[in-house]
Amino acid sequence: MTDVDVAAIRSDWAGTEFETATFEIDAGRLVDWAAACGETDPRFVDPDHPDFQAHPNFTACLGTGRMLPEDFPRFGDGFGIDGGKTVNVHGAVRPGDTLTGRASVHDVYDKTGRSGTMVFIIHRMDFVNDAGESVSTVDSKMIRRL
Amino acid sequence: MAVSFDEIELGDDLPVEQPDLSLEAVTRFTEGAEMRFPRFLDHEAARAEGLPGALVPGLMSQGLLLALLHRWSPGCVVRTIDTVFRGPLVVGTTAEVGGAVTDIDEDEGTVEVDLTIVDENGRTVVVGTAVVAPPA
Repeated sequence: MTDVDVAAIRSDWAGTEFETATFEIDAGRLVDWAAACGETDPRFVDPDHPDFQAHPNFTACLGTGRMLPEDFPRFGDGFGIDGGKTVNVHGAVRPGDTLTGRASVHDVYDKTGRSGTMVFIIHRMDFVNDAGESVSTVDSKMIRRL
Repeated sequence: MAVSFDEIELGDDLPVEQPDLSLEAVTRFTEGAEMRFPRFLDHEAARAEGLPGALVPGLMSQGLLLALLHRWSPGCVVRTIDTVFRGPLVVGTTAEVGGAVTDIDEDEGTVEVDLTIVDENGRTVVVGTAVVAPPA
């Protein structure tokens, strides 16, 4: 399948917000996450520490259930390959917070190499806390081969 | 070893560590992440999907690198971490996590660190970059 107009998809979809969800932050989950990663800094593994908070990439597990809008064009090899994650930390996430996450298609672009053309779809989640402060942005890169 | 911003030099290596990739550790991670999928927890189920065995979740790999950064520079704040998963990291195997300082921003008080996870066969399965603000 090589007749996909990636520029048109980008024009139509980049920046489109398609779902919102809220997440209650639980201390036990934060400790399990950080301790399993071998974390030893008490800020992340001791709920009694005065600066206790989520491991910096914890928000990357919080999703709305959909990676793409329902009517996003179908092409390539299904869901595709997990191309990696970028987490930008804007502020601490703490137990008891209620985060609001907004899902969007951040970008769509293609690259052509020896093995053919790959389309990169960047799914973005922006999180704000109860006070409306931005705390985290998570970009997930999906790669589909045409 | 506690490293503050003023002590860091371009090219500094972070200490190499061998993280715990046991099924027990991965199970605990999946509890925290609420990602209790057989491909992370059951070698047979993972092999049935064509994988070499149960996989360490990519987000856990990223977390292993964050823990390394926090031990290298206690009290540091990680501003950004970006990782690419290049290959499978199998539960119950051994691996090495490491990194090196590749840039220093005196104005922002941050350093850029290139990060890797190398599996027991010598393959680099995760590469990444972090921007970190060490304590002054």
